[in-house]
Amino acid sequence: MLERFIQAVRTDAPEAEEAAATRVRLKDRFAPGVVRRMTQLGLFVGAVLGELQPGEDDALVYATQFGEGRALEGYLDSFPSASPTLFQTSIHPSGAQQGLIGRQRSVREFFPLAGGNQLVATAAQAALLAHAERVLFCGGEERGTWLVPHAAASDRAFAFAIALTRAEGPGALGRLALEPAADGAGALALPVWFELLHHRRPFAGAVAPGWRLVLEWR
Amino acid sequence: MASPTNPSAARLAACDCLTPFGDASATHAALLRGERALQPSPVLGREGGDAVPLALLPGRALDEANPPAWLQPLATLLAPVAGPEWGTAHRPVCVTSSNFGVGSLHALRRTGEAGHAPHGTPHGSVELVRRALGWGENVAIFSHACVSAHLGLVHASRLLAAGAAEEVLVVSYDFLSPFVAGGFHALKILNTDFPAPYQDRAAGSIGLGDGAGYAVLSRGRGDLSIEAHSLHNEMYHFTANKPDGAGFAAALAPLAAVAAGRRLWVKGHGTGTLEAGRLEATAVALAFPGAPLVGWKGSLGHTLGSCGIVELAIAAAALRSGRTPGTVGSASPTFTDAVALEPFDNSAFDGAVCASNAFGGAHAAFLLSHA
Repeated sequence: MLERFIQAVRTDAPEAEEAAATRVRLKDRFAPGVVRRMTQLGLFVGAVLGELQPGEDDALVYATQFGEGRALEGYLDSFPSASPTLFQTSIHPSGAQQGLIGRQRSVREFFPLAGGNQLVATAAQAALLAHAERVLFCGGEERGTWLVPHAAASDRAFAFAIALTRAEGPGALGRLALEPAADGAGALALPVWFELLHHRRPFAGAVAPGWRLVLEWR
Repeated sequence: MASPTNPSAARLAACDCLTPFGDASATHAALLRGERALQPSPVLGREGGDAVPLALLPGRALDEANPPAWLQPLATLLAPVAGPEWGTAHRPVCVTSSNFGVGSLHALRRTGEAGHAPHGTPHGSVELVRRALGWGENVAIFSHACVSAHLGLVHASRLLAAGAAEEVLVVSYDFLSPFVAGGFHALKILNTDFPAPYQDRAAGSIGLGDGAGYAVLSRGRGDLSIEAHSLHNEMYHFTANKPDGAGFAAALAPLAAVAAGRRLWVKGHGTGTLEAGRLEATAVALAFPGAPLVGWKGSLGHTLGSCGIVELAIAAAALRSGRTPGTVGSASPTFTDAVALEPFDNSAFDGAVCASNAFGGAHAAFLLSHA
């Protein structure tokens, strides 16, 4: 069994907030001048992750199914005069890197994951297999526009970050574990995972062939 | 000093790659002959633009087709690891890439044909591959630009070390499109010059290449071993490294400690950009004094998120054959004396360090040796 204890949880549920409003709401979380170059997902993830004070020795795991949908759309729209800025910000895992670069926070281990129904299972596995004492597991999505009807961008926005340690300690908020299970199907999509964290709901069930995820709250 | 990311050795039970030259054996042989796969090609495919160095699979156009034209050659490469025994609880698959099927989204935007869309996302692209290969659903997807393949290898090693898998299949594929060629051209990194990795010249330039590969990692099967990995993320700038080279040094130091006393050669990242090439060559010379440094992207181009596994397959072929290809496309003067321009006999070496770098100042490296 792989397990760690949840020491901190941060979530952001911006609903239909537009990018300009997000910049105003979150500008104080970042260094002056940084925000205008950040994507909306970069702002969401950077803000919640920043509250957990990532450090050099933390392992960072980042999960997003679609990534920078708006930057991707803008970059595709820019052809044949491809935009260099939108190209670099559209590249996975820009959403987590923007805030860290803005704060000049190096990290030794950074595991960005993509995926669909297995995304939460595999990201949790990466987090629980990490050797670092503290693991920061973050992720999120931003709402796309013209790629949404093609199922190639997210239709909702959210962000989360949790801090996980090996030792439970007196202040633990919960427990995250992956347990071997009878080989069968299972899935846990990222928006559902976000809702579990946001509302601090427990979960126990199959999330991938051979794996059962357990999320408990104290 | 930081400890290696994963000190537990994993055996390389199987490994191969696909480049415009063919499989790992054919690619290794072509590099030994000093051949260059890169050819001047319009940066935007059928829409034209500057002729930049691209290495496309024979007969594959830069513009994406539907279904993607890369699927059949990828399926052929992966035929030895097809079937439902992969993607299960005990034999999971890690797929890594920086592009996945994003060329299909470019095709969607330029043609308006909605049929391209399902293959354009990372999960859509991987699902296309998964179904074609008949794998089960236990598939992890890592995407960290040009160190993506390394992360799949690290994750696989950890699954094995934790007893959470019997063997792990790591697959990586990156096939070029106007999306990525246009992006690097816009950043002025990809231009009409051919790359000359580690060569001290007036202007730097990269080339881009189609590439794919796979590795089966096992606890006890295979003649080669990935002994240790190292990771470091500078988070200094999206497209530049710390000017003092600290990021390169931080990534190499843990492996230098593991490899102390052993004679190694180094397969560097070496895309052809000047500043990163200079920093990398300097850091390698300091971490591994006397170790020959080679880079193969002057021939193959940069295979992006897959370069770590494509070049692993070539390095494995080099260790097995006793001959290491030189730095094709480069000439003197080089940034350090350690840069090997010509092929050399590696039979007296204990192994190789294979390193890659990525946007955001990401670094990844591993130590490959005879088991």
